[in-house]
Amino acid sequence: MISLIRHAANHRELIATLAWKNIIVRYKQAYLGVAWSVLKPVMFMLIFMMMRSFVGIDSGPVPYPLLTFAALAPWILFQESASEGIHSVVSNALLIKKIYFPREVFPLTAVVTKLVEFGINCMILAVMMAWYHVVPTWQILWVPALVLYALLASLAISLAGSALNVYYRDIAAAMPVALSLMMYVSPIIYPLELVKTKLLVQHAAGAWSGLLFDLYTLNPLAGIIDGFQRAVLKGLSPDWDVIAHGLLVTTIVLPFSYAYFKKAEAYFADVI
Amino acid sequence: MTAIIRFDEVTKEFGLGQLQTFRHAAVQLAQRMRGVKIPKPQPFCALREVDLAIEAGEVVGIIGQNGAGKSTLLKLLANISQPTRGRITVQGRIAPLIEVGAGLVQDLTGRENIYVNGVILGMRKREIDRRLDEIVSFAELEQFIDTPIKRYSSGMQIRLGFSIATCVESEILIVDEVLAVGDLAFQRKCFDRMEDLIKRQNRTVLIVSHNVRQIERLCDRAILLERGQVVKDGEPTDVCAAFYDRSNEKIKSEAVRLGQRALTVTDDLVFQKVELFDDQDRPADRVAFLKPCRIRLKFEARHRLRGIAFMIGIHTTDFVYVTSNNTMDRPIDIPPGTKTIDLRLDAMRLLPGAYSFRIWIGTPEGRASYDAENLCTFQVTSSGGVRGRQQFGVVHLDGSFDLHADEPAKAPLDPRIAALDARADAQSQFHR
Repeated sequence: MISLIRHAANHRELIATLAWKNIIVRYKQAYLGVAWSVLKPVMFMLIFMMMRSFVGIDSGPVPYPLLTFAALAPWILFQESASEGIHSVVSNALLIKKIYFPREVFPLTAVVTKLVEFGINCMILAVMMAWYHVVPTWQILWVPALVLYALLASLAISLAGSALNVYYRDIAAAMPVALSLMMYVSPIIYPLELVKTKLLVQHAAGAWSGLLFDLYTLNPLAGIIDGFQRAVLKGLSPDWDVIAHGLLVTTIVLPFSYAYFKKAEAYFADVI
Repeated sequence: MTAIIRFDEVTKEFGLGQLQTFRHAAVQLAQRMRGVKIPKPQPFCALREVDLAIEAGEVVGIIGQNGAGKSTLLKLLANISQPTRGRITVQGRIAPLIEVGAGLVQDLTGRENIYVNGVILGMRKREIDRRLDEIVSFAELEQFIDTPIKRYSSGMQIRLGFSIATCVESEILIVDEVLAVGDLAFQRKCFDRMEDLIKRQNRTVLIVSHNVRQIERLCDRAILLERGQVVKDGEPTDVCAAFYDRSNEKIKSEAVRLGQRALTVTDDLVFQKVELFDDQDRPADRVAFLKPCRIRLKFEARHRLRGIAFMIGIHTTDFVYVTSNNTMDRPIDIPPGTKTIDLRLDAMRLLPGAYSFRIWIGTPEGRASYDAENLCTFQVTSSGGVRGRQQFGVVHLDGSFDLHADEPAKAPLDPRIAALDARADAQSQFHR
């Protein structure tokens, strides 16, 4: 794990340059340019707002558009950096066959690239907050920690995933399906509060309710999204009961994921 | 001196064949459970227990036929892939020139690409800032540096790639078939740059090339690989000669398989064969250096041909035309039927190596009735010690040194010697 951090530090220039390249290349011949990275969460938000108008989702005191956008921003950061990370090794096959540098540079670059787009989305969020007169408190300082957590969670998937994808391209094919399923078990369309009241207060699933809630929070995104919404919109610190499970899963999976990546790395150039 | 690069019994194997699909694996598992033995696929051995030590400042050329393991060796060295067995120790930074232009991004401008590619190759950003102008001017792209490189010609892209790659400061430089880039003037520049890197900056360089002449010229040590093993290691001239000897068989068999490369065939005549006779006047496929030989040409004229001249040329196996004896100055008429032509050479002045014939039959005005090359590949063998006398080049020129030219000449040139020379000249002309 320490070696991951060391490699990242040693090759920060390389990672920064490659991320800069990714961003430039993506938007260079696009008329709308960087607007595309904003368009995605905005579209989702509009769809969710429309949906809510006939389903009815209780968003509590926070305006629903704000709540769902604050969920979409970290979700898209996680989802895109994971899926881009998984493709990153195979799509750089040419470089891998010709030049050596630590291969974790590729998944790391994918993450950093998405971080830039996340920054843009945060600015949109800030504008929306100003519109709705929501003033953040000093709790907003939790955001960097939550973002780091989201990045580590996506690395836990993309390190092992990108290595496996070198051998079995099935991984890249399965990923969009898995991620879109994951979106529904994360509190994005609906706030976590709803899940909480359903399971912990109303005991909707009877004796299983507590267990189901624990299971739900095993998903790191539950804690990340809820924490982000609380810190930015509600002026509350993250709810540790929600975060703990997912954080535990991430800290267990990430080292294994990285170890597998390092083991597989030696044969990338031969197999890819 | 200590070795900067060391290979200890390095073996590299590759699995052959395709990745198995799930269905295939399931079928095999079922068979195995029923007790059917499935043979494991035999791995392909690209390098077999290679031991190698290269010292700092050495310029080493690696030659060998396709599939001999040259590129695998470089890839292992550059840490791109890992050996199956054995150990590789490298001290110092490696700049891989494994393929010029790997990692150039089509959508970026030349300038952006210099940064991206430079960083990929391990340069620091500050280093690139400092050398940007040098890179641009070497690639001769001042005018186009802010244009996306997808608008570049392929030559421009390669120039840019080469220019970036050779700017990387490293102790070890790996070069894989890159010197043949761009137009002639740029090739010259690349070659000079390589020589500069090698000779003046005293870097350790490994070059893989099929251009054995280049290796002979640039390197001070050469390694011949064959089927994953080092078969010869030492003086470039010796190793290259060994390579030529080994290649000869393959080239010959391939020349037979590919046959001649006919450039012009008309129904004026049917070409039958070209034969080589050695100094004992026996048909041969090898002649000794500086020994006489005879070349015989046989064809059948379909009808009467008027004003026909012959050309018998010799080219190297990489199609460098060396000689072209001809009778352009005295064309003859040929009646229908079989015709035989001889060319006698008083001494084979081509240096040892493999060569082929180019035969041209036509009128001196340029109308060809027959024209083909890569005919009858033969070998010039060394007759002892020749290579020590002349190392480089294709032909041997007769001559003598006057080591005391600053002293007054003792005697004027004997007129009888001049007459002898003229006779020798006449001998090498065509015998009809």
